[in-house]
Amino acid sequence: MAQTTIILSALALALTLVNAKTTGKHLEGLRVGFRQLAQTAPLILGAFILAGMIEVLVPAEFVQNWLSAEAGIRGILLGSFGGMLLAMGPYAAFPIIGSILASGAGLGTTIALITSWCILGMIKAPFETAFFGPKFFIYKTLCSIPFCIVAGLVGHLVEMVVL
Amino acid sequence: MKRSFLIILSSALVITIMTYLIGGSSLLTEGFRVSLNTALQSALMLVASFLVIGQIQVLLSKEVLDQWLQRFSGIKGVVMSALAGGLFPGGPYIYYPFVVSFKGKDIPFYIIISFLYGKMVFDVTRIPMEISLVSPTVALVRNIITFPIPIIVGLIAERYLANRTMDSFLEEIGDADGSNHDNS
Repeated sequence: MAQTTIILSALALALTLVNAKTTGKHLEGLRVGFRQLAQTAPLILGAFILAGMIEVLVPAEFVQNWLSAEAGIRGILLGSFGGMLLAMGPYAAFPIIGSILASGAGLGTTIALITSWCILGMIKAPFETAFFGPKFFIYKTLCSIPFCIVAGLVGHLVEMVVL
Repeated sequence: MKRSFLIILSSALVITIMTYLIGGSSLLTEGFRVSLNTALQSALMLVASFLVIGQIQVLLSKEVLDQWLQRFSGIKGVVMSALAGGLFPGGPYIYYPFVVSFKGKDIPFYIIISFLYGKMVFDVTRIPMEISLVSPTVALVRNIITFPIPIIVGLIAERYLANRTMDSFLEEIGDADGSNHDNS
């Protein structure tokens, strides 16, 4: 975790320098970042509480049977549909997905879950329906489900073969 | 943001009560201990993540990406618009109105669909959060595995919907009221 913090800090520094040289708006970048952090902090805190409770509540047998690498296709299907139900932004969804991973979920399940949340997350539904119509939303959902399942299967394969 | 906060807050409240009812105060304390540990471990990472997000948002203006979307076509257009989508800052309340602002500009539908999938799958401003709140390994593997999705979707749309513009596609599927949201 410390390594990730160092990499992200170095990236933040590099981007600040690039911004200072190219646009001169590096201070605005800092302001935007801190403002967004302040705005989302209560949301993240709530998500941490939710994620912590999920981690202690979800029974180990459930994770083992339904979400772990051993669950195989069952976990991937569950992840592919479960991601849709996470009707929330990344600040709230990622801690929950992180807690499911920490409980013992397999890589395939976690990747199916994230991919499904990215593409099919219900948070987008009102916007898609409003701007493109309900038919577009239905077509997009039906056409995208296979991508989530395939992503999960590839993730499962990577876990079995590489990791 | 308010809606998400209310959803999270009410969900957290319900699940906290459930935890207490199922496991009593010991399980509840354990839950709060896990939450606090995660929060403390992620605090510095979150600050760094938001600094990255802030700089990216200022560096890549809407105008830069707008020009990018209108310049390319064909396979190059699919790839470039998917990448533009990934670089586009903001949530659905920003990028859907941005996309609809192309109404009337005769931009092929496959360019729009590549952009939308690029935003949903690549989103660079989300990567720091994925790394810090899920896991760096999962973030890396997930991004590699899903990288082709926006390009495949764009190419399928280019193959089968090549002649459609966003306007004609919306007219065809019949039930979108894009005119109400035209920002151009």
